[in-house]
Amino acid sequence: MNAITNLSPDLSRRNFLGVSGVFVLGACLPSCARTPRPPVATEPFVPNLFLALEPDGTVHVTAHRSEMGQGIRTALAQVVADELDADWSRVVVDQADGDAKYGDQNTDGSRSILLNYERLRTAGAAARLMLRQAAAQHWGVGVDEVEATNHEVIHAGSGQRLGYGDLAGIAATLPVPEDPPRKSEAEHRYIGKHAVHVDAADIVRGKGTYGADFQMPNMATAVVVRCPWLGGGVKNILNKPNTAPGLLGIEILDPSASAGPVFNPVGGVAVVADDTYTAMRIARDLEIEWTDSPNQTFSSDTLQEELRKALAQPGTPVPDSEKGDVDAVFAEGMTELSATYETPFLAHAPMEPPVAIADVSGGMCVVHGPFQDPQSARGLVAAWLGYEPENVTVTPTLLGGAFGRKSKPDFGLEAVELSKRLGRPIRVQWSREDDIRHDYFHASSAQYHRAAIDERGHPKAWLERTAFPSITTVFDGGATMPADWELEMGFSNLPYTVENQRMEFAGLRPGVRVGWMRSVCNIFHAFSANVFADEMAAAVGRDPIEHRLEILPASGVLKVPGMQPPEGHGLDVGRLRHVIERVRALSEWDRPRPEGTGLGFAVHHSFRSYVAVVLEASAVNGTPKVSNAYVVLDCGTYVNADTCVAQMEGAVVFGLSLALHGKIDMADGVVAQSNFHDYPLLRMSEAPATSVELVPAQGRLPAGVGEPGVPPVAPALVNALFAATGTRHRALPIKVA
Amino acid sequence: MALKLNVNGRDVEADVAPDTPLLWVLRDHLGLTGTKFGCGGSYCGACTVHVNGSPVRSCQLPVSGAADVPITTIEALEAAHPELLEVWVKNNVAQCGYCQSGQLMSAAALLDGNASPTDADIDTAMAGNLCRCGTYVRIRAAIHEAAAQRTGGNAS
Repeated sequence: MNAITNLSPDLSRRNFLGVSGVFVLGACLPSCARTPRPPVATEPFVPNLFLALEPDGTVHVTAHRSEMGQGIRTALAQVVADELDADWSRVVVDQADGDAKYGDQNTDGSRSILLNYERLRTAGAAARLMLRQAAAQHWGVGVDEVEATNHEVIHAGSGQRLGYGDLAGIAATLPVPEDPPRKSEAEHRYIGKHAVHVDAADIVRGKGTYGADFQMPNMATAVVVRCPWLGGGVKNILNKPNTAPGLLGIEILDPSASAGPVFNPVGGVAVVADDTYTAMRIARDLEIEWTDSPNQTFSSDTLQEELRKALAQPGTPVPDSEKGDVDAVFAEGMTELSATYETPFLAHAPMEPPVAIADVSGGMCVVHGPFQDPQSARGLVAAWLGYEPENVTVTPTLLGGAFGRKSKPDFGLEAVELSKRLGRPIRVQWSREDDIRHDYFHASSAQYHRAAIDERGHPKAWLERTAFPSITTVFDGGATMPADWELEMGFSNLPYTVENQRMEFAGLRPGVRVGWMRSVCNIFHAFSANVFADEMAAAVGRDPIEHRLEILPASGVLKVPGMQPPEGHGLDVGRLRHVIERVRALSEWDRPRPEGTGLGFAVHHSFRSYVAVVLEASAVNGTPKVSNAYVVLDCGTYVNADTCVAQMEGAVVFGLSLALHGKIDMADGVVAQSNFHDYPLLRMSEAPATSVELVPAQGRLPAGVGEPGVPPVAPALVNALFAATGTRHRALPIKVA
Repeated sequence: MALKLNVNGRDVEADVAPDTPLLWVLRDHLGLTGTKFGCGGSYCGACTVHVNGSPVRSCQLPVSGAADVPITTIEALEAAHPELLEVWVKNNVAQCGYCQSGQLMSAAALLDGNASPTDADIDTAMAGNLCRCGTYVRIRAAIHEAAAQRTGGNAS
């Protein structure tokens, strides 16, 4: 399977049992000069927001980011536990509510480690220093004479030792150091190593608590029938039942304005019942007349036509992006190629449909559910109710997948409104049909690329255009154009050496909500750029990887405009070249493959990480079959090596799902698809054997892991199928011949 | 109407309409929330349980059809298949974990009928279980490893 060369022994939770504790304490010789143990503390030692030490030695790490499968609860704990030098088997993870005191809690953008690595190291290191200080004070020795290791502080001179828990009381009386000494990279025992996820044992026993699993006394369940088109309200319920067994109420929810508070619910008819099935059954049978909305004319086919039309004419230039004179070179009569690429609307379709539980009572509101950003959800709930945020608690459960969908808490607000009206805890359960039809869709797009190339396939001039409905259309009722940050996702920051270059963009307003989905605009920008580069190489019969390395600069750091802080990170061409070289080796690129089988390559820099992919594919009776995937990731400093590998494996599947199957259509404002029969996801038989290599890059700035594996997958498949069959697919999903 | 069921070796009663899918009886009435709702149409397999030893999509089975036969859910899988849980945890198979109850129930049913499944056997047996996180390669490897443990051999 996946080769990781730098794994330490497993950090399974029980590995260290029997090593510390009783055995070690018993090792102190009777002749040791002994100071009596400090009295047992009555309160935990809580030096900061992220760490609490119980007198019994249990260490609580607070995870303020949401867990959706990316292993963040584990990774955050690894960082704190490492600098604390805690015994991993005595670490438990508590989930934080949404609260501004934690700083950013928006678990998107692949940046939980980036934003928190240093502060969590400091949190652990501060506690470790304080425990050393506490022990030194207790023993009457110098701090420099004591060591803290594996949940104990040891004074080598006297042979005395105390467990961390024994020192909780004294440590709590000490000032918290602002700049405690932190470990060197070589001293890390958990960071950069493999760890079994802290929730794994619960999950395999069915004990993990996801949104729908959270229970409250006297809770009722609501199912909402929403207007098929965005912006429509309830005109009439034709067959409203007055009573039915288990029915508790039927409530009309008004539609929210399409602009304004963007994560508000779309409205509809809520059926509240004793249990889920009763609510679903009654909701299914309702006949509802809806009011009209301007979005009823929306058609994704028409939008796609308009995107193509937009590409046929000059768009808005990306500011300061023009180099040389593209038109002059195009007039020279060199070899030219041009192509248009298209990608459709997509739905996130996490396996857990949206669901939330709310209890509004006594001027307080408590919400539980799979929220990617409990802090912004708290603010939105408070605004909805007119409460102070202090009177609102939003607690994330485990997220049964999210991929960006659950950063929008519209489903939570539905539960809040219904709980307020019915005066009891309400769970709102979305069906799969609700989820597919009322998503914040990944936007459809089109790109046009035109290049003049020399005999080696090197571009002398490169014109690229992109057009797509911007996510800003959800925030701003007047917005039409893509935002800089969307263009910076793989469009305005191509790393290739081109003397003459122009980048133009266009945008259109859609009649549905659009939103960010795992890797966002990188999906279509990496797709078009990687396939077009492959077309340049193919046009002159060059090896795609050799060609790509030639058209990249030899070295240097390219500025990536607009990238979020911390500063100091650009696109390091050396690292980009390295993942390309490594994937060439990992895939044995030069080894001949069977007749009818082709290799395809793609590389992309996103979320500060570098990912190169090679796929091995064939077309069996026209149906693409991917047999092997090779992925090389450089994400800088990483915390859980195995999680990084898993995220790349998952990205291959996610990328193949959208390359082979994913397509959402809208006609008359209504979404055509509804469930996994017409919005299929990749299944096990389609999943290729996957080899992942993680570039050792400890010491560098941590970068993203959850998203950057996705963008190179679809173009690598298109390029592999071209190598296998000679057919070039320029639209997703790939049409089966 | 109170229906008599046998779930995880215990006789229980549920006061529900007989057409209620078994999934919702387990989740809403018996407190067994390990079995998940994913699609309601038997496309995704998140709700897979064993009825009379066979893997069944509980979102499609009216509870009346499960009376008088033993039902096993993820909460009781460990007794019969401790090796599956062990290899699943050890290998970090789960990402978000939402589909994994169903994946494990399908894997257990496969191993009950086929001690040493091939990749093709696994692909067939697991075809009804979707995973959006994309844990398929680890599931495949974990089933091989669990099979080897059960038969006393080593994983290939």
